[in-house]
Amino acid sequence: MLFSYLEERFGIHEQTFVDFDLFSKRKSWWLLRKTANAYLPVRLKVSQVGLRAFDKVGKYLKPTTRMIQLFGHHATRGVHQVDESGLQRLSRGESLEIDGLIDEGFVILRLREQVLGLGLLAQGKITSRIRKYELNQISLS
Amino acid sequence: MRLFEDYREFIPDFDSFLESLERPLPNHLRVNRLKTSPASVIALLQNKGIFLKPAYIGNDTLYEAPRDLLPGRLLEYFLGYIHPQALTSCVASLFLAPRANSTVLDLCAAPGGKTSHVAQLMANTGIIVANELHLRRHAPLSHTLSRLGVLNTVLTAYPAQEFPLRESFDFVMADVPCSGEGRWRFSRGPYSTAESKYRTAMVEAQKKMILRGFDLLRKEGTMVYSTCTYNPEENEKVVDFLLGHRDAELVPLDYVPGIEPGIPRWRKEDFDGRVRGAGRFYPHRIDSVGFFMAKICRRG
Repeated sequence: MLFSYLEERFGIHEQTFVDFDLFSKRKSWWLLRKTANAYLPVRLKVSQVGLRAFDKVGKYLKPTTRMIQLFGHHATRGVHQVDESGLQRLSRGESLEIDGLIDEGFVILRLREQVLGLGLLAQGKITSRIRKYELNQISLS
Repeated sequence: MRLFEDYREFIPDFDSFLESLERPLPNHLRVNRLKTSPASVIALLQNKGIFLKPAYIGNDTLYEAPRDLLPGRLLEYFLGYIHPQALTSCVASLFLAPRANSTVLDLCAAPGGKTSHVAQLMANTGIIVANELHLRRHAPLSHTLSRLGVLNTVLTAYPAQEFPLRESFDFVMADVPCSGEGRWRFSRGPYSTAESKYRTAMVEAQKKMILRGFDLLRKEGTMVYSTCTYNPEENEKVVDFLLGHRDAELVPLDYVPGIEPGIPRWRKEDFDGRVRGAGRFYPHRIDSVGFFMAKICRRG
């Protein structure tokens, strides 16, 4: 279901994740590379497995920033290109108005070739879903 | 000034060593091949007027950036393309040289620089158990690993010296807690060493950790024992302790410009002569954090 969401929304083929296992814990899902030594984590008291890939936010499923940064370059749709000034506006908590070529919901934000993370498109406006603290740290000059 | 004076007898060119402590630590960066390529990062930074210098001959992922650069504020940091990491810290992972698809234990993993470097050297294959006793250090460890796109790691929180023996690993990284003398520079404020009682306790813990790290190795497995301190009590003496208690073999380290051999004698105590095969890094020989490393193999 989680990978089919990525295929449906962004065109990232489920096949991309054939070498990974997903683990759930509370309201998050974690992605771990498959290994021949999969018995190791089973026999240890493990506090975290792999990369946090999805969170459940209310009734919605949200891929994490790091998940999108890793796999977002496979996306064929649901991608919005921002420039530096757009990124600065997002980091200030402002929204970006866009023409309605993308369905409402999460969109992948890209600066040139670099996949930044997720935004949320609603009523023709995109807001950032990247942690504000991290965005504010970035100096674009 | 009696700063590090006790070490004058074994640190070569001691006055140059002291002079090197006057300089601030250089700004070293590792390019994260899990997410990008060195050529891409060099080009991206050049477009911003930032020029990187290669920092390690024969390795295209380690660079020195301008001293006034704040790497944590770069977009490339947020994207996980780069990781600020001391050059000598990177050398420890290069010495370990983990194979793809192998099993690795990082005994004291936080803040995750070496763990993520090991993951990079394994191309995100196999599995790494990143162990960190202190739960408060799991957040920065987890942040480092996720930012750098590490996908082959599980986190545990055992005391390193009590890590369960029911597992065994192809590689063990034992970068153990230490007095941290190698990180000290004048620009970082007054020098202070830990109380001698505390340091003694630390050495005892280090001995237990090196034994446990070795016992967790598979046959023909490899361990790197490292500290960022000059103190022989925490270095050669700990390795000597291992050699006296286990059938361990010290593996010669690859040549790195500036590396110095381990010292076989300290304060009238002779160590196993094989400790000469360990490596010492001083800031006047390789401009980075001072380090000690020993590569240890479990016989087949």
